[in-house]
Amino acid sequence: MTDTRLSVLEGTYECIARRGMAKTTVDDIAAASGVSRASIYRLFPGGRDQVLRETVGWEMERFFVRLGAELGDAVDFAEFLERALPLARRDLSDHAVLQKVLETEPDRLNALITLQQHRVIGAIAAYFLPLLVRDRDAGIVRPDVDLAQAAEYVARLSLSLISSPGRHDLADPTEVHRVVHRELLGGVLTR
Amino acid sequence: MALVAPPVPVDVRIRDAVFVCIGRFGLAKTTVDDIAREAGCSRATLYRYFDGKAELVERALAAEATRITNLLIDEGRSARTFADAVVAVVVAAARELRGHDALQFLLVHEPEAILGHLAFGPGDRVLVAVGGSLAPAFDRWLNVDQAAPAAEWLARVVRSYVLMPHPPIDFTDPRSARAFLESLVIPALDES
Repeated sequence: MTDTRLSVLEGTYECIARRGMAKTTVDDIAAASGVSRASIYRLFPGGRDQVLRETVGWEMERFFVRLGAELGDAVDFAEFLERALPLARRDLSDHAVLQKVLETEPDRLNALITLQQHRVIGAIAAYFLPLLVRDRDAGIVRPDVDLAQAAEYVARLSLSLISSPGRHDLADPTEVHRVVHRELLGGVLTR
Repeated sequence: MALVAPPVPVDVRIRDAVFVCIGRFGLAKTTVDDIAREAGCSRATLYRYFDGKAELVERALAAEATRITNLLIDEGRSARTFADAVVAVVVAAARELRGHDALQFLLVHEPEAILGHLAFGPGDRVLVAVGGSLAPAFDRWLNVDQAAPAAEWLARVVRSYVLMPHPPIDFTDPRSARAFLESLVIPALDES
């Protein structure tokens, strides 16, 4: 990503944090990012809608990069997920900008997040895949499982769990252990 | 003597017309007049049954949810094994959602009208509700405490793979759905 593009995304994020999505104009973004209107339209031909959409996708990616750095390594994939799910749920709940916009403009934000989801699913699945490969080589993942498919499945359903836990209490370690070993990895693990 | 289908009651015609109109014009642009015209009744008749567009849409949606739920329960209950039931329910759900003109129009043109209700907190409530109402689809194989969580998990899988853009697997196709579900999902729901 070019520095100018990044400046626009950062500026837009500041604007959204301050006044929400609906009230953020291209002029506000230009002022916050120090990039001219003309350059913004050149970089983002779809204008304001495209900038908002890409800012949401960019922040989603940053969220998971931060999470990955916080988590570090684990003995195996199951243990990694057991640590990742509660932390991700907590970080989502503590994400001030997300929670504010979810309160003021829920429909619009939910739509954008859903439509940008494939960006992070791909990245998370790519992060999971080597962990699954390592576990297969260690004999704790079934040899006949399509690991790329499994990585994507776990990425999708983990995202689903942290955004809408439903009946699952992700603050309860026993419950998290259960959902990881059963629903998420029941078809994947040998034991 | 020719068999004549019984006439469809006017309130049902009105309800059905809601989805025809949404599939054609979207939710925001559909008017009560459009719906009355599509149902072949007058505005006055429509207002005898429904207070206005919002109530009409809400009741049409509730009726549609009940119709699809009952269909999925039938699919599940008439299967031979638990695995067959899971495949049948998921494939039928994918076909209903993918073939739903009104839903597909909204996902493309007015995503906030749909997706706002399916993510985060509101999505939570939908998943739990769907899990509860779909549980009977699996009650031949699972007890009540297992059937609702299993149905909720399948609702999650369908939400992620059928409603979100760029699905990697076509769940409307029974063969690819079965291969996927048997590998990753059914083993997770089967043993207690």
